[in-house]
Amino acid sequence: MRERIEKALPKSDAEYTEIRIENVTSSWANFRGEELDSIGSSKTLGGIVRALVKGGWGYATFNDLSALEDRVKEACNSARLVGEEKSRFAEVEPFVDEITATMEKDFRQISLSEKKSVIEEYNKIVLGYHDKVETSNVGYGDSFRKVWYGNSEGTHIEDERPDAGVSLSATARDGDNVQQGFESVAGSAGFQIIEGLQEKAEVAAKLAVDLLSAPPVTGGKYTVIINPRLTGVFAHEAFGHLSESDFVYENERLKELMVLGKRFGSDILNIIDNGTIRGLRGTQKYDDEGVRSRKNYLIKDGILVGRLHSRETAAKMGEEPTGNARAIGYQHQPIVRMTNTYIDKGDATFEDMIKDVNLGLYAIDMIGGQTSMEMFTFSAAYGYMVRDGKIAELVRDVVLTGNVFETLMNIDIISDAVEWPPVGGGCGKGGQSPLPVGLGGPYARIQNVVIGGRQQ
Amino acid sequence: MIVNRLIKKAMKKAQGAQASLGQSESTNVSFESDKLKSVRSSQSTGMSIRIIVDGKIGSSHTTDMDDVDGVVARALEAAEFGSPAHFEFPGPQEGPDVKVYDDAVLPVTKGKMVRIGEEMITLVKEYNPHILLNAGASKSISNIQFANSAGIAYSTETTNFAVGVDGQWIRGTDILSAGHGFGWKKQEIDHVEIARKAIKLFKMAENIAPIKSGDMPVVFTPEGVNVLLLALILGLNGKRVFLGSSPLAGKLGEKIADEAFALTDNPLLDYANGSGTYDGEGVPHQVTPLIEHGLVKNFLYDLDTAARAGTKTTGNGIGCSPTNLVIKEGNTPFEEMVKNTKKGLLVHNVLGLGQGNPISGEFSVNVLLGYKIEKGEIVGRVKDVMLAGNTYDALKNIAAIGDKAEWAGGSLLTPPIQIARLSVVAK
Repeated sequence: MRERIEKALPKSDAEYTEIRIENVTSSWANFRGEELDSIGSSKTLGGIVRALVKGGWGYATFNDLSALEDRVKEACNSARLVGEEKSRFAEVEPFVDEITATMEKDFRQISLSEKKSVIEEYNKIVLGYHDKVETSNVGYGDSFRKVWYGNSEGTHIEDERPDAGVSLSATARDGDNVQQGFESVAGSAGFQIIEGLQEKAEVAAKLAVDLLSAPPVTGGKYTVIINPRLTGVFAHEAFGHLSESDFVYENERLKELMVLGKRFGSDILNIIDNGTIRGLRGTQKYDDEGVRSRKNYLIKDGILVGRLHSRETAAKMGEEPTGNARAIGYQHQPIVRMTNTYIDKGDATFEDMIKDVNLGLYAIDMIGGQTSMEMFTFSAAYGYMVRDGKIAELVRDVVLTGNVFETLMNIDIISDAVEWPPVGGGCGKGGQSPLPVGLGGPYARIQNVVIGGRQQ
Repeated sequence: MIVNRLIKKAMKKAQGAQASLGQSESTNVSFESDKLKSVRSSQSTGMSIRIIVDGKIGSSHTTDMDDVDGVVARALEAAEFGSPAHFEFPGPQEGPDVKVYDDAVLPVTKGKMVRIGEEMITLVKEYNPHILLNAGASKSISNIQFANSAGIAYSTETTNFAVGVDGQWIRGTDILSAGHGFGWKKQEIDHVEIARKAIKLFKMAENIAPIKSGDMPVVFTPEGVNVLLLALILGLNGKRVFLGSSPLAGKLGEKIADEAFALTDNPLLDYANGSGTYDGEGVPHQVTPLIEHGLVKNFLYDLDTAARAGTKTTGNGIGCSPTNLVIKEGNTPFEEMVKNTKKGLLVHNVLGLGQGNPISGEFSVNVLLGYKIEKGEIVGRVKDVMLAGNTYDALKNIAAIGDKAEWAGGSLLTPPIQIARLSVVAK
């Protein structure tokens, strides 16, 4: 494949050209209720050419590799149609590298029937947990992505990116009241991470059943304590997206709002994006522009100190590339994305966080989050009210919202350890979803958080 | 056709098979921050096969047209311990007429698409030069071949065209985002009208109107109606009904909404995104009334789920999902809904929809683009506001339905809807 790429690249008359070709094999099995709902596998091969001419980009994506040189010309023609200024593209050192994935148990060597039987057991646990469990949705999925990347500056990288995961969902029902409990595990380490999850299956089922008798949270403003899984989503939605420079680099007003040195939180707040932490889902040695991943401080001691870049945004903002240009697959160009994003540890204990809270909410685990730059929401799987310094009753339908310029300031206590729960899912941006990212962090307490819900 | 070869190959070991092959070419022009940023061309191919062996289903997919042997072999492997089949592949049936191809799409040049983007940006800039704009236009042409072992074999060509513009207006730390877009299978889209709609959304948002927490009447624009529809789309899915995870299970014929509320799945609307002659299993598409006079009339089914539930497929395979949804027009002009509201909210776009437990009907969302209505007038945009409620309660509590349906995206045709009371939490 390297030869084909190196033969096609010189056909370009653009200022910069790159070719990324991906071969992805994947398999899946999924139970819904007692029966297997679907099982199968797929093989995809495709690629993208990206060409830069006078600041304008041309892209050509394809499944048919036989006309690679024509695709290069097509991308160049498109770029020429666009470009009318000087290209700015940060210089980086060219790399030639080959990365081989190491999986303890290689899921490609495991038969589809064994994959099916592992989740069949979890499915039985979910369905058998309680007679109020009405149905289940238990799925397994894996993909092995082999990427060949080459550009006109001499970089050639071959990378292997495995990902396997299980999602365990239980639906409990009592008349019209339908509740769900959810657990997931995903990662790059191999098939072993999806084995031995019997306890998680039971936890998902128990949560669904318990939520049947939990009231919806009463809407209002609360002191909220979030657990590590939720802290991860919070860091990602409440701040991470705003640090992605493609939102900022050609937006003068946003640049003013996001000027380095500006205070976003109190002294205890540190937010980091780190694509080099071994074993996490957002980890990659190189991003999809061939730039080395690294650890990037976004907020240090409450002050904005950095942001995430592609080569283009870095050049246009006069900063260094950070290795954050990522694409979900060959049909897409790399755009600025997070890797593994977290709030760094503080020095408090969980007990410190709740002991002086008269009325608050302990929000646990994530369902998801969304941001519009300024506003964000994120949903907890469930929560407990905190009353007079103690954990009280279970509540459901917990959705938190905030404003990035205010809410980060309201974080007042952070616990003393960062955790990385190996959950599945991923991030969506610009029509590219889901991108595997790492979400983790410590426990954190936030004052004055608006929680949606009906009022008493 | 390649699909016939796939079927023939599979039938050496299988008792039933269906195969499809999709090929498409598309072009996309995109503007970022007021400037033309990129032009993309995409070529894609893919083939899928689904087979039944000894009563069990296996499936497989590939993008490699030369991998006929491999894709069949992998589907056979999956079928060995596959999911039980409760159906047989259907024979050929005459399908309804519906337009899905427009000759005018293919000749649209990249240059023309660039001009469309430029014109939309210019229009919004004329209204307000401080708004920073993204815009785009895209076109595609696709060919799908379909065949099964019961004798179906057809191929169909479809086109698609879409344009959109969205902008961001920053004042201090206030970031206002609004925009409008539309796409369908036809080239004819009035991009000037799209830009005007975007401008209207910005105009109404020029002032920020403070609002107090409380229960109040809420008007949903056609785009905003998605907030109410999400739970229904999940709840009317025949598979969820059969498995019991839908709160509508067992409620066929029961009243779940106001008398005036009617919802139909309609794949026969010319050029709509979800339209076509056949579904993904070769079953002719049909119009399915889902809710009429507030009563549940039908759920959506595919072949397998229908067989399990002891009913007939509605042509919504594979997956029991809707094609195009149409909500029946009522008799209240939008202007009158606003005029009749002393204090309330107009909701256009929200953040966080579907996070939580949407199947239960519960929603709790941030009002990303919404307006305060005061003494019968839209007085400005609201901020830092959460809207919460339950779809099933809200549908029983409809105060008015608009007299004019509009497309919200290319597969939902709905009038605005006013709910008598929903809970609003403000900062």
